[in-house]
Amino acid sequence: MMELIEANKDMLLFTAAAGVKVLAFLGAIMGFAGLLTLAERKVSALMQDRIGPNRASVLGFTLNGLFHPLADAIKMIFKEDFVPARAEKLLFTLAPMFALVPVLALFAVIPFGDYVMVFGYQLDLQIADVPLGIFFVLALSGLAIYGVFLAGWASKNNFALLGAMRGAAQMVSYEVVLGLTMVGLLMIYGSGSLQDMVRAQGKLLFDFIPAWGIVLQPFAFVLFLTAAIAENKRTPFDLVEGESEIIGYFMEYSSMRFAAFMFAEFVEIILVAMLASTLFFGGWQVPYLYDTGFIFPGGGALELDHYLVAALQVGSIIAKTIFFSWFLLVVRWTLPRFRFDQLMSLCWKGLLPLALLNILVTGAAMLLLGKI
Amino acid sequence: MIVTASVYLFGGLAALATLLMLFQRNPVKAAMLMLTALLATAGLYLALSAQLLAVLQIILYAGAIMTLFIVALTVTPQALHDKPSAGHLKKVLGLAAAALILVELVKVSAALRGSPFSTAFSDAGTLDLARQLFGRFAYQFELLSLVILASIVAAVTLAAARKVER
Repeated sequence: MMELIEANKDMLLFTAAAGVKVLAFLGAIMGFAGLLTLAERKVSALMQDRIGPNRASVLGFTLNGLFHPLADAIKMIFKEDFVPARAEKLLFTLAPMFALVPVLALFAVIPFGDYVMVFGYQLDLQIADVPLGIFFVLALSGLAIYGVFLAGWASKNNFALLGAMRGAAQMVSYEVVLGLTMVGLLMIYGSGSLQDMVRAQGKLLFDFIPAWGIVLQPFAFVLFLTAAIAENKRTPFDLVEGESEIIGYFMEYSSMRFAAFMFAEFVEIILVAMLASTLFFGGWQVPYLYDTGFIFPGGGALELDHYLVAALQVGSIIAKTIFFSWFLLVVRWTLPRFRFDQLMSLCWKGLLPLALLNILVTGAAMLLLGKI
Repeated sequence: MIVTASVYLFGGLAALATLLMLFQRNPVKAAMLMLTALLATAGLYLALSAQLLAVLQIILYAGAIMTLFIVALTVTPQALHDKPSAGHLKKVLGLAAAALILVELVKVSAALRGSPFSTAFSDAGTLDLARQLFGRFAYQFELLSLVILASIVAAVTLAAARKVER
């Protein structure tokens, strides 16, 4: 037995480390998604001059509404789990999973730090460093369409089907733009691995500007964020739900099945925020912070402990993720919904040509600067 | 061992899903079974460490083409109902086409038997990939863009014709 363990030591260590990373990272994502449900209600309340949820209490403490996500979860669990009589039972059950699972799986390729040394082993702070990570992101985000479509179709409700049709058309259109906005980054960094991209963003331009994606591809960032919000199906692109007209693809869902759709939406917010910070805002990079500590462009230096550097880097991506999540919430409560034809012409006549132009200009610039 | 097991697992799943799809009358369920077959094929590629092929399979087939099928299904009302059984002639024609494809597939796999498969295309960076696509496969690549152009022209023609009728 001991020999067997000794022989497969590397494999076992790898599996154990991966398991710990998955539990810790996904646990953090789930917890944050729960808090975001509260944040969404609080932000909307703030913008509409209300107080927002503040009643759920434990032993008389309300902590300004902090217990509401818990109360919501308990409520959802105990609601009646209703399936329409004419619904396709199997697909009706599969749809919430199709909505949630690809989104959660995507976090595997997103780096949440550089590395830490644990008992002499180098532990990469990323679940899976896939060489083609950026394609992996596109592949799995494309599968999220089926959650929407199956939900709408399997409930055998015309309004839900309308939502599903809108969803399929919208998501397949914006998926194209989303993919094209990343091509510029792929050209500049020359690697599809998200970790490589973040490492490349640690370099300096002209010795003092961090080479973040936003500096090199500012235009792509705007397009990316627009397409990502549309993929996320949130206002101003929430025609899939459109509460005032068709209620949406999950109209027949209740209890935890409905909660899965809601939860997927909030996990997607975190995903968009993390992707935006990873691709365009240096990921876990802190400007001028290197393995050994800060080295400022003026010549000053500040040596730091390895664990402090790692903590600063993880803190950096957490701060960026929180910022972009907040930004997405604010966008939702600021802009009104598009009309469907406006949505489609924005994608095919606006964003798509601009994304193609961005690729052309990036290529021309790289050729002129002799980077190829 | 793991590789062989997963190859058989994904291969079996793809074959099973395809078979079930053939006997499925409901178009949307058939589309879902086809999606399963496509994803299983992607798994098969992944098991053989052809990462790029696996990812492209999901992006293009599962993500884009199947979605377009589904959009097409939802805008054709009769697609949401069960199809009546086809005539005998159609069945014979279909079986003949299937037999022809099967024979070709067996021939191809017999020809490929024993020849080592190259992994040069799988573990490449973007530069290598670009070199392959725009160098070695440039002719095929350009030919494909012609096909796409033709289909765009066809789509525009169809859309424009409807406008004139109004």
